[in-house]
Order: sequence, then structure tokens, then C-alpha cells
Amino acid sequence: MARKKHTEQPEDLNLVPVMNLVTILIPFLLMAAEFVSLAVIDSTLPAIGPPQPVEEQPDKPPLNLSLAITADGVTVLGADAVLNPGAAPTPPVEGEVRPPTVPCKSGGKCTGVDDYDWKELTRILALIKDEYPDDENVILVPDQRVKYEILVKTMDSSREDVDNKGADGKARTLFPFVVIAGGAVN
Amino acid sequence: MALKKARRPSADAGLNITSMMDMMTIILVFLLKSFSSSDVSVAPSDQLQLPTSTTQKAPELAVNLVVAKNQIVVDGVPVIAMTTMPDSDNPGQSMVAVPEDEKRGQVITKLYDRLLEKAEAAKTLAEQSGNEEHAFKGRILIQCDKELPFSVLREVMYTAGQAQFGEFKFVVYKTE
Repeated sequence: MARKKHTEQPEDLNLVPVMNLVTILIPFLLMAAEFVSLAVIDSTLPAIGPPQPVEEQPDKPPLNLSLAITADGVTVLGADAVLNPGAAPTPPVEGEVRPPTVPCKSGGKCTGVDDYDWKELTRILALIKDEYPDDENVILVPDQRVKYEILVKTMDSSREDVDNKGADGKARTLFPFVVIAGGAVN
Repeated sequence: MALKKARRPSADAGLNITSMMDMMTIILVFLLKSFSSSDVSVAPSDQLQLPTSTTQKAPELAVNLVVAKNQIVVDGVPVIAMTTMPDSDNPGQSMVAVPEDEKRGQVITKLYDRLLEKAEAAKTLAEQSGNEEHAFKGRILIQCDKELPFSVLREVMYTAGQAQFGEFKFVVYKTE
């Protein structure tokens, strides 16, 4: 008889202590929640950059890769042997304005971050990396008015080649050590 | 009358919280997923919008230097208010700059003083702890608004370099 009564009115699970616990946990976790994930890009002052490789390779001149970022595009400096194979290095002429290696997509002045041809820059840097596999340094020489966002995008493009993944699924590392030069003081 | 009495809830009727429990459990799982133990925090605003980057390096604790459009902040304390001045090369446009009277050459004087204080404090602390791990390495976290021109960043970097901070860590949003 007693058994029958039990099946008719099942006892509710007492959820109140669990509720208490959850209610306390929620404000705590809300405080510690992170809705954007942060990361950092390393850079050093030019004087105390990462140690340069000491051993000299007599057959190869050292790569002194620089990227000049202006409103017209990105100019790759110090890698003429790769960019213009066979051509004699031409000394810079006073007053001569060379077109940037990677011009803006729209031609002329770049209008925004997406107007710079980042894919092309990465492709050219990958070619340079083929020639100088041990080199990891790149110097950025931005113009005064170049926005910080563009600077970060240049560092991204020169750090790794996301379109060229290795066997392990990781993007190919290009030039991860970035040094930002002061540029011309005006 | 008898009907009314029967409708009145009995004393031992409990509140049905099962549905609320369901909701809470889902919220709990979501919040646990987004739980972070990161040392660095940013307060995004109109004046400080960080750029996004593909870098995967995790931030670490260091002196926190915020360069927003309206001010420069070191470890939560505002140091310098920024100004806008007309862009000499692009008429009609203005660009953010550090006020001229706050600078001595390339060095932003107030920022230099504050950073030097921080460097000295960090060195004293490292000496007292005597631990190699806490040695002063000149690390500085730079949170910079993505719209700021390089001229501002260069002055800030130069000033930090003069105040013995040479290892810059630019804080960015990570893209998945």
C-alpha cells in the first residue's frame, strides 16, 4: 500500500543548493570572462635587436631586408639580387623616385588597409626567404603618416606565409623578427 | 467557497526551478568556455581600438603603456593629453599628435619621467627578490589605437627606449 503511494507522488529533486552554487558561480565567471582574445607582437629597438648571426658566408652578401611603407605602397629594400636577378645594383640617385615594389591595388595613393597588396608582399618575401633561408630579421621603415594598423598588417605579412602551409599544417615562417626604424625625421 | 479553498496552494508546494536550472547550466558552460586567466586587460573605447593580427603569442605581464587618440596612459594613470593639429601635407585634414610643449626634441618629457620611475621601481624590486626570473628586461606592453599615425608611435617608442624599455610588445586582437 505504501509502495503504491510512492509511485503516485514522486519526490522532486531538491535543486535549491545547486541553484545557489550556480548563481554564485555566474557573476564570478562573468567577471573573468574574456570576449576578445589578445596577443602580442614582439619588436625591439634597433640597437638591441636579436643577435645577428656571427658566421659570415663569403659567397653571399648578408641580407639587410627593409620594408619602406609609404602612402604609395610598400618598397622592398636590400634584396635587389632576388628582385632583379642579373641586374647590377643601381646606386640611388639624388631626387629619383622609384615606384614601390608592391604598389596599391588601386594605383596611386592607398586609400586604406585593404588597398595595400598584402598577398603580393608575402609572395615576394617568400621568394627572398628561398634565397636566404637562415635570415629572420626585417626592418620596417614607415612614413610619418602611415597608420599603426598598416604597420601591424605589414608585420603580419612578413611574419608568415599563411597560404603556403607546410606538412605539419603550420604556415611557413618568413621573417618573424621585426625591428621598427625611426624613418626620416622631418 | 469550498472550491476556492481547494485552489489555494498547499503549504509544501515548491517553486518549479527546473527550467531556470536549464538556463543557468547553459550560461555556466558558456562562461566557463570564455574563462581567461590573462594578465593583460584592455578597455576598448572610441579612443582606443586595437588592430587585429595573426600573431599567436600570448601577452605577459609588463608595464602597460596605452596610446589612445586622446591621451597616453601608463599603468592606468593618464600622463599626457593628445592634441589634433592640421596635417601640413593634406590640407583640410587633421592628425593626432603629442603637444609640442610636452616634447623635448623627440622625447615626451612627462612620459619619460614616468617610465623612468617604473624602470627604477622594477629594478629595485628585481634586486630585492634576487631572482633571475624577475630581472628587469625592459619589457613594455604597448596598446596603440589603430588609426594613430606612425609619427606618434615613433615618439612614444623613442621615449620608451630612452627610459630603458627596449623590448616592445604590441598588444593586438587575435584573429582565429
